[in-house]
Amino acid sequence: MITKIVSKNFEILNSHTMAVALENGRYASLENLFLQKPREIIDTISQSGLRGKGGGGAHAGSKWQLAADTQGTKYLVVNADESEPGTFKDRQILSKDPHLLIEGIICTCYAIGSHISYIYVRGEYEEFSDILQSAIDEAYEKNIIGSGAQYPLDITVHRGGGAYICGEKSALLESLEGNRGHPRLKPHTPQAESYFGEPALVNNVETIASVPFIVENGAEAYRAYGTEKSPGTLLFALSGHVEKPGVYEAEFGLGMWEYIHTLGGGVKNGKMLKAVIPGGASTPILPAHLVQEAKLDYESLKSLGTELGTGGMILLDEDASMVKALKNLLRFYHHESCGQCTPCREGTSWVDKTLDKFIAKTATTEDLKILKSVSKSMNGKTICVFAPAASGVINGFLKHFENEFLECIQ
Amino acid sequence: MRITIDDISIECEEGELLIDVMLNNNINIPHFCYHQDLGADGNCRMCMVEIKGAKRPQIACDTFVKENLEVITKSENINEVKRSILELELLNHPVDCPICDQAGECKLQDYYMDYGLYESHLTTPKTKKGKAIELGSNVMLDQERCVLCTRCTRFTSEITKTGELGIIGRGDSARVGVAPGHELNNPYAMNVVELCPVGALTSKDFRFKQRVWFLDTSKSICHGCSRGCNISIDYNETKYTREKIHRFRARRNARINQSFLCDYGRLSYKELNNSFKGTSSSIEDLKELLKEDKKLALASPSLSLEQLQAIQTLCQTHNIKLFCLAYYDESFGDGWLKTNDKSANLASVKKLGICTCQEEFDAALQEAELILNFDHTLLKHQEFGNKKSVQFTSTHLPPACGYCFGFANFAHDTGTLINCEGITQKFYATRFRDKNPSLSELLEQLR
Ligand SMILES: Cc1cc2nc3c(=O)[nH]c(=O)nc-3n(C[C@H](O)[C@H](O)[C@H](O)COP(=O)(O)O)c2cc1C
Ligand code: SF4
Ligand code: SF4
Ligand code: SF4
Ligand code: FES
Repeated sequence: MITKIVSKNFEILNSHTMAVALENGRYASLENLFLQKPREIIDTISQSGLRGKGGGGAHAGSKWQLAADTQGTKYLVVNADESEPGTFKDRQILSKDPHLLIEGIICTCYAIGSHISYIYVRGEYEEFSDILQSAIDEAYEKNIIGSGAQYPLDITVHRGGGAYICGEKSALLESLEGNRGHPRLKPHTPQAESYFGEPALVNNVETIASVPFIVENGAEAYRAYGTEKSPGTLLFALSGHVEKPGVYEAEFGLGMWEYIHTLGGGVKNGKMLKAVIPGGASTPILPAHLVQEAKLDYESLKSLGTELGTGGMILLDEDASMVKALKNLLRFYHHESCGQCTPCREGTSWVDKTLDKFIAKTATTEDLKILKSVSKSMNGKTICVFAPAASGVINGFLKHFENEFLECIQ
Repeated sequence: MRITIDDISIECEEGELLIDVMLNNNINIPHFCYHQDLGADGNCRMCMVEIKGAKRPQIACDTFVKENLEVITKSENINEVKRSILELELLNHPVDCPICDQAGECKLQDYYMDYGLYESHLTTPKTKKGKAIELGSNVMLDQERCVLCTRCTRFTSEITKTGELGIIGRGDSARVGVAPGHELNNPYAMNVVELCPVGALTSKDFRFKQRVWFLDTSKSICHGCSRGCNISIDYNETKYTREKIHRFRARRNARINQSFLCDYGRLSYKELNNSFKGTSSSIEDLKELLKEDKKLALASPSLSLEQLQAIQTLCQTHNIKLFCLAYYDESFGDGWLKTNDKSANLASVKKLGICTCQEEFDAALQEAELILNFDHTLLKHQEFGNKKSVQFTSTHLPPACGYCFGFANFAHDTGTLINCEGITQKFYATRFRDKNPSLSELLEQLR
C-alpha cells in the first residue's frame, strides 16, 4: 500500500549526507533537466498534475507559469514552516533527505528562471534546519549549487520566529522581508507573489521534493499513481489514538479507513474509532461513519464537507471528549491568530474562553449560541483563511457532536 | 462611468476605490482602518457592503468600481454583519466613555448608535491591556480602547518613515507600542492622535480640558510657515475665560497637507490665546504722529492679503516707506510640509510689490523719525531711543513707552493667504469677536 516516491531514501542510514545521497540516485534528474528548455519543464509539471502539498492543493504548473511570465528578479521560496498540529511530514524530508529538496529547488529554479532560493524553516525545527544547512554546504562544495554550478543558484535557510501564521505564504514573505508576519490582502487578479516587489514562487517542501521524480521519469510516470484529479502521492501521516503513528507515503485515492487500518494498525488499544480530523488541525472533523466512506483525495473529502489539507490525520477514539478536543484546537487558534482582522483577533479569543465554560460544565445555552454566532462572524470576513478555517473546525464539531456540548450545559 | 449605491446612481471613474467614491459622495460607510491618506489595510472589516452578483459581503476599501456595479449598504443582512463585527470590536473594550477624551468624536460610539444597540453577550472575562501609557510627543496610549486599525503604525512607518510605533504580540494580546527604551519622537508625531478613530491615542495637550461637544469650529489656515496647511480651529467661550482656542485639527486638503499638520504648527494655537490685553493708545494721538516727517513702516509677512493692502494704502496716503521682511529659518524646512520660509503670506507681499530688501530697510531705519510696526517680531520688543514708535500688535505686549494698538489675531479675522506654491486660500473668523478690533477696522479710522 505504501508508494515511495518522495520517501524512497528515508530508511537508508545517513541518507542526509552527500555521499549516501549520490549513491542512492540523488541529483540524477539534473541530467534530464538541463537537456530540456525551462518551458518544457513547466509543461511537464503542468501535465503531471502536481498539486501543492502545503494544504491548498493548487496546481503547481500554473503557479510556476505565472512566476516565469512575470518580469523581474525571480525568487523561489520554499515553505518549511510546518507548524500545524497533526502535520509533520516536511520535517521528514528536511532531516532524512535534504538533498532531494535541494535537487527539487534546482529543477524549479531552472524552470522559472530564478537564481535565488530561500527555505523558510519553522523556528522550532532547529535540529532539522542544521541538517538541511549541512546538506546545502555539501552541495556548494560539490558545485552542485553556487556560482560555479552548471546552473548558478544560491540557497539560503531562513529560520522563522515560531509563528504558525508565517506558514501562510504572504505572511511568510512579509516575515522574510523583515516585517511582522501579517498576511497581505489578496490581489484581485491571479499574479505571482511578491518579495520586495519582485516575483516570488512559494511552494511547500513536499511539492518541491516531488519535482525530481517527475523531471526524471516524466509526467505520465507520476500520473500512474493517484486519481485523475489528484495524481501522484502524498506523505500522509497518522497521529492521535492510532497504534502506529507516523508518516507513510501513499498514492491518492485510497480508502481512508483502509489506510488507517493497514498502515497505522488501527485504533490504539483496539478501541472503536470516534472520528478523524483528516488533514491537519485546520480541516473539519469526520465522524467514524464518514471515515468508512472517505477516500484520500481532494475531491472525495470535499464532497464530505471537509478538506484533504496536508493529509495529516488525527484519530480520536470512542473515549475521546469532543469538547476537550475542540478546546485543544481553539487554544491553538487563539494563540496563533496574527491579530490583524477583527473577527479573527477577537473571535478566536472569545470562542476559546467560552469553551472553558463547557470544560467546567458551567456553560449556558447562551454560550452555545455565542459559539455558533462568533464562528459565523469568523467565516469569510478576513484577510487570510485562518479564521474561516477555525470557523470550519468549530462548525464540524458542532455539526457532528453537538450532543456532547449540550451535556456540558448546566 | 456610473454605479448605483442603494438605488442612487453615482458618477465615478473606472478603477476608483468604492470606499473613496462613497466618502467623496457623503455616503455613510463605517470604517476604522481605511484612511484616504494612508490607504487600505483591510483589517477592521467594518466597511462591508453587498455587491450584486458576489456571494459574500465585500469590504468597500478593497473593491474597485466597475461599470454598472450595484452596491447595497443597507439591508438586514449587511446590518447584521456590521453589528457582529462591531460587537467583536467592542468585546474587550473597557467602555470607559465617560472618562474618555474621544467621547463625542469616537467612531466606536458613532457606529454603535448606527449598527450596534445590542446588550453585551460577553460571559467570559475581558482581556486586560495597558492604560495611560506615555508614548512621547504629547501622545498618550490606552491599549484597551484600541481597535488595532494600524493607522498610527502605518503613519510612522509609511508617512514619516520614523517607525517608532509597532504592533506587539499576536491575536487578542496584540497591542500598539514603542520598542523598550524608545519613544514616539518625530516632528509630526501628534498626527496619530487625530488619525486614531477611537480614544486609544489622545493628546496630553488637549485631554481632560474640554468636552468636544462644547466646541465650535472655524475653518482656517495655519500661519506657522508658508505651506498654509488647512486647519480647523476648535474653540469655545467659557464662563471664566474669554473665548479660548483649544486646538488645531488638520482639515483635509489633498493638494497641500492631506490630513496632516506638523506638531509645531499644531501647537501654535497657544499663541492665539495670548491676544493684546492692554488699553490701546488714542487714535487722535496717532493722527498727530502721522504728521512727522520721516516715517517707516514694517509689516509682518504673516498678515493677510487684506491687512497688507490696508497697510499699503495707509502708507501711500501718508507718505510712509513700507517694508516687509520674511521670517526665514534655515533649520525649519524638511522637504515635506515644513518650509524654511516661516512667513504665512510672503507671496502676497511680493504680489503687492512691497519692498522686502533688508539693506534698504536698515538704511531707512537709521533715518526714520517715526516707526510703525505691524506685528513684525523683529521690532516688537525693540527700544528705539529718541525715535517715536507705534506698535500694532495681535499679541500681548507689556506696557511700553511708545504707542500701542491691539488688533484681532487671525482666529478672529477673515482673510486671504497665498502659500509657497501660489495657492490662494481663505481663512474665516470664529463666531466670537475679539475685544480688539480687526486691523482693517483700526486703519479705517485713520482715513
Ligand atoms: C494559516 C495558514 C498556515 C499555513 N501554513 C503552511 C505551512 O506551514 N506550510 C506550507 O507549506 N503551507 C502553509 N500554508 C499554505 C501556504 O499559504 C501556501 O499555500 C503554500 O505554501 C503553497 O505551496 P504549495 O502550493 O506547494 O502547497 C498555510 C496557509 C495558511 C492559511
Ligand atoms: S484571518 Fe486571522 S490570521 Fe489571517 S490575517 Fe486575519 S487576523 Fe491574521
Ligand atoms: S491606537 Fe488608534 S490608530 Fe493606532 S491601531 Fe489603535 S485604534 Fe488604530
Ligand atoms: S507645515 Fe507649516 S503650515 Fe503646516 S502645520 Fe506646520 S507650520 Fe503650519
Ligand atoms: S475600512 Fe475596510 S476593512 Fe477596515
